[in-house]
Amino acid sequence: MSYLMKNRSRIAAAGLALGVLGAAGGANAQEIKMWNLADAGGGEAEFLLDAAAEFSETHPGVTFVFETFPNEAYKTQIQIALAGSSPPDVFFNWSGEDAMRLARDGLALDLTEYANAEGGFAHEMSDGWLSSFAIDGRYYGMPTHAVSKYFYYSTAFFEEHGLSEPTTIAELGGLCTSIREIDSSIVPWPLGNNDRWKLNHLITMLNHRVLGDAGTAADYNLSAPADELFTNPGYVTAWQAVLDLQSAGCFEGAPNATAHESANAMFSAEASPMIYCGSWCAAQFHGEGFTEFGLFRLPAFEGGAGDPGAGFLVPTGYQVSAKTEHPELVAQWISSLVSDENAAKFASTMEAIPSNATLIDTVDGTEHYKWIAEDMASATGSVNVLDVLLENNVSNAYLDAGVEILNGTKTPEEVMADIRAVAIAAQDAM
Amino acid sequence: MNSPFGTQKQAGGRRTMSSGASNAILLLPALSLCMIFIFVPAMLAISGSLYSYGLTSPTRDFVGLGNYIKLVQDSIFWVSLKNNLIIVFGSIVLQIGIGCVLAAILDRGITFGSTFFRTIIFMPVIVSAVAVAVVWLIILDPNIGMLNKIVQSVGLTPPSLGWLGDPKISIWIVLGVAAWQQTGFMMVLILAGLQGVPQERYEAAALDGARGLRAFWYITLPSIRNILIVAVLITTIGGFKVFDFVFVLTKGGPANATQVLGTYTYLQAFTLGNLGYANAIAVVLLLIAVLIGWLQLKVSRQA
Repeated sequence: MSYLMKNRSRIAAAGLALGVLGAAGGANAQEIKMWNLADAGGGEAEFLLDAAAEFSETHPGVTFVFETFPNEAYKTQIQIALAGSSPPDVFFNWSGEDAMRLARDGLALDLTEYANAEGGFAHEMSDGWLSSFAIDGRYYGMPTHAVSKYFYYSTAFFEEHGLSEPTTIAELGGLCTSIREIDSSIVPWPLGNNDRWKLNHLITMLNHRVLGDAGTAADYNLSAPADELFTNPGYVTAWQAVLDLQSAGCFEGAPNATAHESANAMFSAEASPMIYCGSWCAAQFHGEGFTEFGLFRLPAFEGGAGDPGAGFLVPTGYQVSAKTEHPELVAQWISSLVSDENAAKFASTMEAIPSNATLIDTVDGTEHYKWIAEDMASATGSVNVLDVLLENNVSNAYLDAGVEILNGTKTPEEVMADIRAVAIAAQDAM
Repeated sequence: MNSPFGTQKQAGGRRTMSSGASNAILLLPALSLCMIFIFVPAMLAISGSLYSYGLTSPTRDFVGLGNYIKLVQDSIFWVSLKNNLIIVFGSIVLQIGIGCVLAAILDRGITFGSTFFRTIIFMPVIVSAVAVAVVWLIILDPNIGMLNKIVQSVGLTPPSLGWLGDPKISIWIVLGVAAWQQTGFMMVLILAGLQGVPQERYEAAALDGARGLRAFWYITLPSIRNILIVAVLITTIGGFKVFDFVFVLTKGGPANATQVLGTYTYLQAFTLGNLGYANAIAVVLLLIAVLIGWLQLKVSRQA
């Protein structure tokens, strides 16, 4: 079998073609174009190339084009592409409002029939997983794995100074103060919020810890009466918790001007002893040669209504363009990615938690991967992140609010008034 | 008929096209390109601004002038416009002002190594704006950036929120980075004008006692008036269409403090999915461009 390798650079500033693999030529040649995140980490490219090679053996004539985009550019590019005339056949997406809007707007294919067919992905995972890309029981995407978020800490630093994992948000602030007392020049917890989403992830969890699911659901989906939208004082309390952590010296001096990559580098270079980072960060830190770290969840908020056992959990996966010329083939392709063997291979390569966990015990991951896998399995609830969960304008207002809070240019009450105004306008427009 | 496109029968017996038809044919390629890339998109933007719809919406709701009413009430739109004006006037002062001084020094002030200095000062112009912005992003980084270290080494305190994180100074930093790149271009433009000023004028002025700054003010500046007008127009147009520096350095942040009309249009269209509203902002930007273009034509005709 011969393979054709070629590169494409569709959008010079943002896109980078990983490669193309497939059988050469042929009367029945069919091309599957697939979009992914560029900074997914691990060996995703190798995994996909291997999976594509296997798929091509059983589907002669199929060629693949893999294109990747940086995180920030991705959300924009995928919308433009899907609205255009030559969108990717299959594309990565986070579960949440963005994915659901694509389904509502008729741009994401209803995969239900293909998923339920023999060999379809619906047979490979639980209903809970399937629901992450479902509307009214119809599947508009296939989850491949989920990401979570944890505190990573330097075990050597904590042992040397007799520090321990905090059990409450107040203790977390106290931990920062203790670290500053050891050496005031050490940034205990670099935030790196110049792209705004780092604090958004934190406030997502703080909202949950303070208000609980029941306290936020009607606001998040804009179903609350207009005069009640985002009026719960718990939202202000959550922002105040951010200010308290900042006052305790947790963050760097200029978090809104610090890139998340810089913050990660501060931790992996052991300049900072803690960081709140995604489950994907473990593999990144390993890749940078730093392995002496432990993990803990964002602790409970004293007196908060949220379940402290609930974890940050964002299912991610693939959706299929409604404009694809060969929907059945594409559905077969994505289903093959979550077969028992491929899901295990994906988990091993990416150190990710797969939607099909049948062979998870066979995955020979690092101790951190195993810890994360066990912790995610033991979570008593899941919290999806605000920047994919909320309506776009409300999400943007929340992102801006974080910047204002960290800069001290607005109070928690003022930012919630801004968010409320945007939410009411968004509700009106629905 | 003298015209090569005349209608008279030529000596060889071949009939040529009428002047009007041949002119139209010659203009057709340019007109087609203008139609495809300017007029049609402009018309689409104007019509789109009367609707409410998203990037992926299957339908559009007619809202009339609703987007324009919303725009007038939108504080971020006014912040964006103000920032564009800061960049326009700041660029005129920095780029043309410094460019003028540098050109004068290179023209009359130094006699050795002027080509070397001209090359060095012009060099940033040939680098892409995105690359320049990325390099400055690293220089301005509050944790690893060179600028903080330089400022601290001379006993000063860098801004606590970072050069690009402090809403009070971030737009001025963006302005400075843009000036760093573009001043060399203005310098070369003005230098070309300076080198066209006849030496006799300076000699005559010297006889009347006008030397140094007086000569610069009364001889040099009036002599290069037309060049300066062109420079101001180029800078003004550049200031209104600025996008790349802002997008790479701050993405319009912190909290919209450096938002300009270009980045705000992008935010509304592609991040928030308010395509109709983004069209309304683009139409305002178009009107500003048309106004500047009209001014340019008027001034250049007078000049």
